[in-house]
Amino acid sequence: MSWFRITLQRSAIGLPQRTRGVLMALGLRRRTQTVFHPVSPQFAGMIMKVKELVKVEEVDQPLTAAQLREERRPDPGFYLEKAARREGGPLAGATEPEGSVRL
Amino acid sequence: MFGAFRITSPLNGGLLWKTPWRLSKFQKYRQRQRLRAVDSVVATVDRALAKKGDTVESLERWKAEMPTEQEMLPKDKYTIFARYEKRYRKSIHKLPKWTRVSQRLNPPGY
Repeated sequence: MSWFRITLQRSAIGLPQRTRGVLMALGLRRRTQTVFHPVSPQFAGMIMKVKELVKVEEVDQPLTAAQLREERRPDPGFYLEKAARREGGPLAGATEPEGSVRL
Repeated sequence: MFGAFRITSPLNGGLLWKTPWRLSKFQKYRQRQRLRAVDSVVATVDRALAKKGDTVESLERWKAEMPTEQEMLPKDKYTIFARYEKRYRKSIHKLPKWTRVSQRLNPPGY
């Protein structure tokens, strides 16, 4: 089951209501927003309507909003050798496996 | 009356808004990039649907009628047909929303 990964590259400001309706149908509300839709003639037709505004990629699995946010998260630039003990649990991304070299 | 096409008269104290009659080489470069981007979107959609054995009428029409960026003449990439101009052509940047609209075909012979 393949999916379209659709990203809005150009805004629809000043474009006809019909074009904006297509973007709303795709779920694209703001620029550089990414949505996933299954490959089908319906979504292909919608992409053809807004092909000048959009960047499309074919992927195997859709990503959730959390996964998309993780993609954008930059390298923290540090790691904790020894995390302080805390109630909530270990700091995400702080612990490194033993013997790994961070360049 | 807002934006780049505001009618103002310098004689009456208004500002002068000028745009060149032709595209610069950087604008032409970006126009080629945009045409290629649209071609790649169409190719991606076509490939994805072909794997499922499906197709869409708008896609088939685009492939039948529209030239790719490689097939286009520079004249068609950077100018459009204009019925009231001398030589019946004017620069494509005079077309509203020209960076977000597909304009590839012109009447044959013009």
